[in-house]
Amino acid sequence: MTTAIGRPIDRVDGPAKVTGAGRYSADVPLPGLVHAVVVGSRIPAGRIISIDTRAAEQANGVLAVLTHLNLPKGGSVPPLVPSLAGAAATGQTFFPMQDEVIHYAGQHVAVVVAETLEQAEHAATLLRIDYAAAPFVTTVEQGREQAYEARRIFGGFLPGRVERGDVDAGLAEAAVTVDLGYRYAANHHNPIECSATTAVWQGDRLTVYDATQGPNATLHTLAELLNVMPSHIRVVTDFVGGSFGCKAMIWDHPALAALAARHVGRPVRLALSREQMFSSVGHREQQEQQLTLGADAQGRLTAVRHHKLSPTSHFDDWAEPSLGVASQLYACPNYQGVYRLIRANTMTPTFTRCPGEASGMFALETALDELAERLGLDPLEIRLRNYAETTPGDGTPWSSKKLRECYRRGAELAGWDRRDPRVGALRDGDTLLGWGMATSAYPCYQPGNPQRARARLYADGSAVVQASISDIGTGSATAMTQVAADGLGVQLERVRFQYGDSDLPNTAAAVGSAGAGMVSAAVHVATTALRDQLIAQALADPGSPLHGADPRQVTVAEGRMALRERPDVGETYAALLQRAFMADAEAVGTWNPPPDTSGGSMTFGAQFAQVAVDPDLGLVRVRRLIGVFDAGRILNRKTAHSQLMGGMIWGMSHALLEGTRMGPDGRWANASLGEYLVPVNADAPEVVVETVESTDTVVNPLGVKGVGEVGMVGTAAAIANAIHHATGKRLHRLPITIEDLL
Amino acid sequence: MMDFLTPVTWADALAVKADRPEAVPVAGGTDVMVELNFHRRRPAALLDLTRVPELAAWGRDGDVLRVGAGVSYTRLIEELGGLLPGLAAASRTVGSPQIRNRGTLGGNLGSASPAGDGHPPLLAAGAVVELASVRGTREVPVADFFTGPKRSVLAPDELIAAVLVAPADGPEQFAKIGTRNAMVIAVSSFALALHPGRRSVGTGIGSAAPTPRRAPEAEEFAAAHLPWDGPGPLDPDLARRFGELVSAAAAPIDDVRGTAAYRRHSLSVLARRTLTWAWEELCE
Amino acid sequence: MSASNLPDAEAGPGPVDVVLTINGRTHVVRIEPRVSLLDCLRDVVDLTGTKKGCNQGACGACTVWIDKRRVLACLTLAIACEGREITTIEGLAENGHLHPMQKAFLSHDAFQCGYCTPGQIMSAVALLAEGHTGDDAEIGEWMSGNLCRCAAYPNIRAAIREVRDGVPHATR
Repeated sequence: MTTAIGRPIDRVDGPAKVTGAGRYSADVPLPGLVHAVVVGSRIPAGRIISIDTRAAEQANGVLAVLTHLNLPKGGSVPPLVPSLAGAAATGQTFFPMQDEVIHYAGQHVAVVVAETLEQAEHAATLLRIDYAAAPFVTTVEQGREQAYEARRIFGGFLPGRVERGDVDAGLAEAAVTVDLGYRYAANHHNPIECSATTAVWQGDRLTVYDATQGPNATLHTLAELLNVMPSHIRVVTDFVGGSFGCKAMIWDHPALAALAARHVGRPVRLALSREQMFSSVGHREQQEQQLTLGADAQGRLTAVRHHKLSPTSHFDDWAEPSLGVASQLYACPNYQGVYRLIRANTMTPTFTRCPGEASGMFALETALDELAERLGLDPLEIRLRNYAETTPGDGTPWSSKKLRECYRRGAELAGWDRRDPRVGALRDGDTLLGWGMATSAYPCYQPGNPQRARARLYADGSAVVQASISDIGTGSATAMTQVAADGLGVQLERVRFQYGDSDLPNTAAAVGSAGAGMVSAAVHVATTALRDQLIAQALADPGSPLHGADPRQVTVAEGRMALRERPDVGETYAALLQRAFMADAEAVGTWNPPPDTSGGSMTFGAQFAQVAVDPDLGLVRVRRLIGVFDAGRILNRKTAHSQLMGGMIWGMSHALLEGTRMGPDGRWANASLGEYLVPVNADAPEVVVETVESTDTVVNPLGVKGVGEVGMVGTAAAIANAIHHATGKRLHRLPITIEDLL
Repeated sequence: MMDFLTPVTWADALAVKADRPEAVPVAGGTDVMVELNFHRRRPAALLDLTRVPELAAWGRDGDVLRVGAGVSYTRLIEELGGLLPGLAAASRTVGSPQIRNRGTLGGNLGSASPAGDGHPPLLAAGAVVELASVRGTREVPVADFFTGPKRSVLAPDELIAAVLVAPADGPEQFAKIGTRNAMVIAVSSFALALHPGRRSVGTGIGSAAPTPRRAPEAEEFAAAHLPWDGPGPLDPDLARRFGELVSAAAAPIDDVRGTAAYRRHSLSVLARRTLTWAWEELCE
Repeated sequence: MSASNLPDAEAGPGPVDVVLTINGRTHVVRIEPRVSLLDCLRDVVDLTGTKKGCNQGACGACTVWIDKRRVLACLTLAIACEGREITTIEGLAENGHLHPMQKAFLSHDAFQCGYCTPGQIMSAVALLAEGHTGDDAEIGEWMSGNLCRCAAYPNIRAAIREVRDGVPHATR
């Protein structure tokens, strides 16, 4: 019986957020707190010849200047494994300040600790660092000649090449083909909260307040980097000011904060500056994709060949998995996907919202639009003709798929059947209007380890449910409160979900749109286990009205157990516990995820965009975005819609605004919020979001498929297709610039 | 130790500036604070001008308005929108409302950014900057004030006192291209003022040359060819030619916000459109 | 020119006493004259509701009021605020009762991570007083000084509309 799940309740952490009372990781007050600032390398490659720290060390308030010459040595760098695995999750297999070698611009070369932030920042400017510069490669253009085919990517989780069928034969038999080259700028996450860590030691025990998507990921990474027992580390994450992937992996600053705190014997806060956010926490890599589609005369795909070329670091073979979803979405027998990499003087790239799906699907969904035009087909029709009833790989059934319903409802909301297919047919004065659409899909990733939660019910009938997960703004704390209330059968108001603390039962990091599914599973298992335990206690208790009843006949609502057929026969949890002189009852639940289901289980969506183009100036304004999604069970309609809407506006931003440019000096050229443009309120159009009813019994107990990223997937392509409809221009580069439209 | 100097009269402010020419004047702080926050400069002294009442005042001085250098953009919008519509329209595109509450006309001039949104309408309106020091006061046309990117004729001991500008005597327009819909530095901008009484036209170009600048040939062309006698629909060829001349007056570069070619092109469009709008307004 | 080349770079900062009125309370703080109001609020007065997002006036997370007008604390010297009335998000709720704008942000889900939210709300309440709430386009323009990376913008506009109209949102 469901009463709380799905309801659009307000966020449980909302009051703390609207009053400013919420303490984020750089807000935690601690007695004796001092401030650390990191200093980044000016050059992208070479080595440090000398660092003169004397002036900095003598400046007012300075407690320590740490460099590769005196940084206390710790443990070892763990392998790069995505944080969804639940283990240590370093963002790159390089830890700075171990020697004088410079691998990328902004690489941390010193940490200055002082009594005040102002003093630390000032002292940092007094460091004299001499470098010997070496030749470098930082872009696709510079490194094209030295590209190599990756054996494995993405922390070793994915192969560098995937093939099925015979793509050459498929292209040979095609009635029509398109062969298109795509280029994408690098992107940076830029949550408004810069990453920050506050670290405090008590003897050999370390407490870290860290802005992270996974308190346990921070814990296990610190344990290895510092060579400290995990049992002696606690990571607390009460609030996270957005992440979008840059806090999904653990970078070097939490360890540097901990090392600095140990060195000076005081609690240390280390907050990255906005500029440092461009060279300390990864990025979505610059990339090129070459996509070749073949189709028969009816528009059915006969072949998909999709190659990607992108720079990675000197330490890791990382590329966002751009080819994955695009290989699995449509029924096509012949497929080839290849990742090629370039060793570059950058950080290891990392997850950025919709990591791979956004870039790969932009290519596929705009190419499909072009194919439809060549064949004289409606863009929606060509997608229906290639609808994959089963997974294209091995033909196994989808865990659930209501994409057809998404198309139908989205088309209805957009008025798609009224669309005049002719280019430039729609006008508003001198403004050209265009309508476009695209498909969205995002895999349901599974965590690599068991997910746990603890449920405790007190004798007054109130409950605390715990899991270590942090809420980065997704609404997971609110949704888990709802799941817990239903699992226990108590009122929402009586449940508190406690989270954001590695001392609580283990969950993996909230990444890859998997957080709601995996944590709801653990909370569901724990709360229903406690419910069943209490029911069993009642049945065994001669003092209970339910003594001796059939457990299958007992239901719980509002904290009261009763017979399904005889609701008058029953008693409250509170009565049961009080009679037994029990102050509380507790259960731990463990959910063992199924093997990775991402190939056969996806969140789907249909997206539509309406744009207005000023043809004289090349200015695009998005007037309306519509998205209809199959995301399985929706735990909270309000917060889920916010996630989907936010993803869609991210997609608009990906299409029209966001790009980090590499300067000729090998440094990011626009590393500020003044020059790396993200949307402002006036850019955000009307956004229509709906979800369709969808039941999934495979992914997790509650059938939650995730809403964090799918909203972004198809947006950029829908916008580009709409711009084509308005102007006749095909756009193969992101972000789309005003110059592209003249 | 950085000195924080807080004169409360204009005379004191000038005396302090004469005594400490290295002191950095701060009004709204919207430019200076970024330099301080990022530790790009560590001035020996800051000269706080927010407590000097004269700077925050505006009023009529004969035929012209004298607008104190400390008048904020918000006040330019709220209080001077009717008298200086071009400047008010440009002010509305400066930064954000929070920045407009603090940022001042004088501060913007002092920074002398080629992209300053307030500069083109001052150029179009033929405004004059009043500079003062203990040595005396001098008036410099805005067109002569800027000497290069972030450079001006302001002497080390001088402060910007006010801007002198005649109230609009005809339609004024301002148009700006930005990648976003708001809170954006201009890729290019253009201001236009029509003076039907004396049959002249003023222009101002932003973000498309080392300094904000006028387009004198375009001004002369429009003054000579606009149908002042018989107001009616504007000849599209005239507007197009005007746009070409404005574009030709620019000397743009490629930078992270846009290419030189786009800047030239967009200026021709903005100039054509603003002239058309202004003429329609005049004919109404 | 980098800071390290400045001739006076060695001089270093030195603290002075500054009297500030924040949310109706008087605070005497000892700070270096170049300290921004933002760092002063957060690190000295421990009012951490005002957030740092960019330190250059590009994000709006540090929006507070000075003499009732919304400004950016990062672009304001704390020492220049002597004699002014400073209001932060912590001073908005009265006697523990949320301001209608705070309630509207809650009911419309006008935030996700919440980091920009104090700035958004301080801006939104000031916006009502400024009167630029005619329609969504005007609200959007005059709220564009506050970035929301979670992109709750349409919900922020809805919350502001609700308070403008004085009609509470019915939670379904």
